[in-house]
Amino acid sequence: MGDCTPDMGVDPPSARGTNVEGEAPRIESAVETDEATITDDSELERTLGLSGGLAIGIGTMIGAGIFVFPGLAAGQAGPAAAGSFAIGAAVALLVALPASELATAMPKSGGGYYFISRGLGALAGAVVGLSLWFGLVFATAFYLVGFGYYAVDTLAELGIAAGGGLVIPIAVLFGAACTVLNVTGTENAAKLQNGIVALLLSILAVFLTYGSLDAVGLVGAPAAPEQFAPFGATPILTTAALVFTSYLGFAQVATVAGEMRNPGRNLPLAMVGSVLVVGVLYVVTIFVATSAFGSERLAELGETAMVEVGRHYLGTAGAVAIVFGGLLATMSSANASILSTSRAIYAVSRDALLPSGASRINLRYGTPHVALGLAGGPILVLTATGRVELLAEVASFLHLVMYGLICVALLALRRNEPAWYDPDFRVPGYPAVPILGALCSFALIGFMQPASQIVGLGIMLATAGWYAYYARDVTLKGEL
Amino acid sequence: MTATRVLVPLAILEGESVSPGLTALLEPVAVTVLGYHVLPEQTPPDQARLQYEDRATDALDDLTATFRVGGGPADHRLVFTHDREQTIDRIAAETAADAYAIPGASGQIDRLLVVLTGDVAVDRICSFVGELIGPREIDVTLFLATDDADAGRALLETAAESIAAREIDVRTRLVDDAAPFESLLETATDHDAVVVGEQAPSLRSLVFGEPSERIAVESVAPVLVVRNVDETSSDQR
Repeated sequence: MGDCTPDMGVDPPSARGTNVEGEAPRIESAVETDEATITDDSELERTLGLSGGLAIGIGTMIGAGIFVFPGLAAGQAGPAAAGSFAIGAAVALLVALPASELATAMPKSGGGYYFISRGLGALAGAVVGLSLWFGLVFATAFYLVGFGYYAVDTLAELGIAAGGGLVIPIAVLFGAACTVLNVTGTENAAKLQNGIVALLLSILAVFLTYGSLDAVGLVGAPAAPEQFAPFGATPILTTAALVFTSYLGFAQVATVAGEMRNPGRNLPLAMVGSVLVVGVLYVVTIFVATSAFGSERLAELGETAMVEVGRHYLGTAGAVAIVFGGLLATMSSANASILSTSRAIYAVSRDALLPSGASRINLRYGTPHVALGLAGGPILVLTATGRVELLAEVASFLHLVMYGLICVALLALRRNEPAWYDPDFRVPGYPAVPILGALCSFALIGFMQPASQIVGLGIMLATAGWYAYYARDVTLKGEL
Repeated sequence: MTATRVLVPLAILEGESVSPGLTALLEPVAVTVLGYHVLPEQTPPDQARLQYEDRATDALDDLTATFRVGGGPADHRLVFTHDREQTIDRIAAETAADAYAIPGASGQIDRLLVVLTGDVAVDRICSFVGELIGPREIDVTLFLATDDADAGRALLETAAESIAAREIDVRTRLVDDAAPFESLLETATDHDAVVVGEQAPSLRSLVFGEPSERIAVESVAPVLVVRNVDETSSDQR
């Protein structure tokens, strides 16, 4: 039963090989329909709709771009930080389109890792899959630190002066609570996530509409005039590299591709749609924020600058709304990323790149406790460092490598289309879009701080080393 | 005409099983056992499949064999899902099942309570009951709770005639002055199994749960829910 007979019409079986412990990839031929994945002995129901997919994408992304980065980004690039976010959105779109095509061709859990391991082979797959694990760990730690700042601000709004020293302890505690709840909780948090995203979007719509009207001078006091790009052009690009963390969520949609109903339609819509929605919101947010205060003031205000922006436009009510929104947004980003991390670990463990024990499910709660633990442990350690910018950039670094390789995988598959390759959605503007997507992804890495580049490279080398030691006999190319 | 088919959904890995009474009751019809396992959203269904598929398939093979002993054709499906309702609806539509079972507990079934209350397809329910009982010695009580006693009496009479035409002993019970659900449960106590019709979701069912589920919980007896197929089956695929 665990042995797989190849599906008819698919590539002939190649020796898949085994890892050091003698485990082979657990791959079984399956038929994908709009409602279920049907294997020889069982079926996997597709239960996520378009709104669920959008909620994962938007819910993961919105916390960082709106509630954490504006102060930091404006401090580095001035009002032109809006341009940095626009560049980020463009790069994300250039990758979201190829990723959508691959996801409709391979609607399986595992997302980017799955496309790359099947399109480019096991080494690239292992590096990306394991790096994605760490990339998500860094991203989650970043969201958690953001949450910590908002928690302290919430206490401040409530009249309790907690002080900045509590940011990290609160973030670590909350991260631990999230992990434990994900192991033990079986209630349906997806509905809650949808509700949170809808609420956030409503808060932002009101706040941004009012802020924009104010900023262009239709209501309220005239805005503070400031030079658009006070620090020149290069900071716009380095800032784009920093804030790219705000666009990591769309790939998380692909990690649940196996559970999405009607994947041919819903996956592209959810991925591209969530990038467009958050991209517009980010650009408007920076415009509104830099119209309220000068860049220097925003930079001083730091991670929770948006709270003061809210106060500037709408008084205490605005500040409270933003604090509340920031809490919800960073919370949902962190939680969604922990879940994605656990799925990323499962995907590589299924393919024998990690011990199979990593994908065990416990009987009591039906949750993947080992994978969640492998996500939660490192997250807490990284959260404890509290280095917001480093965490964000390393997360972006590791994701950008995956994004670039997703584009390369698409090019490789399209050049010599295997018989099984039959996507419902095809990239418009092929081959320019994936080529540009790959170039931009790799180029953005070049604008990061050296420290982030070194950490990112180190992690990739370590994952390649792990592959060479643990699973170099495993082959995955074309193994559906 | 295709064979009458009943879907039996079971939380297979939680040890849910079928009572001997229900197995015997379903002997004349085709049975599809739907083994399902509901997963929290943290867990990809595929991950659960790797770990549990063998065990679940073994259990399903055994169960299907018990149904075959009685003579009726039986098969099984195994689904890992986040959403039980969606899975049951999909499999019921794909297998063109006429009814699905909520297993309950029962010994030999001699008396069947058939509930016609509400906006249900009376003709379909009656013909299903006829196919299910066949030539066996199982008595039927038709139950209807309504405000309009005259129309209710007429409906019960027509339904009783169509069932009696198959040489089945049939009685009727009309409730027009007491609480419908409580009267139904009271009547159910001296019956061994209940047949109800599937109803369109209403505000009431959202608040209190599906009537069929409530009957199953309160009476502990097996409940067969006759599906509403008219418009729902055509849009699959």
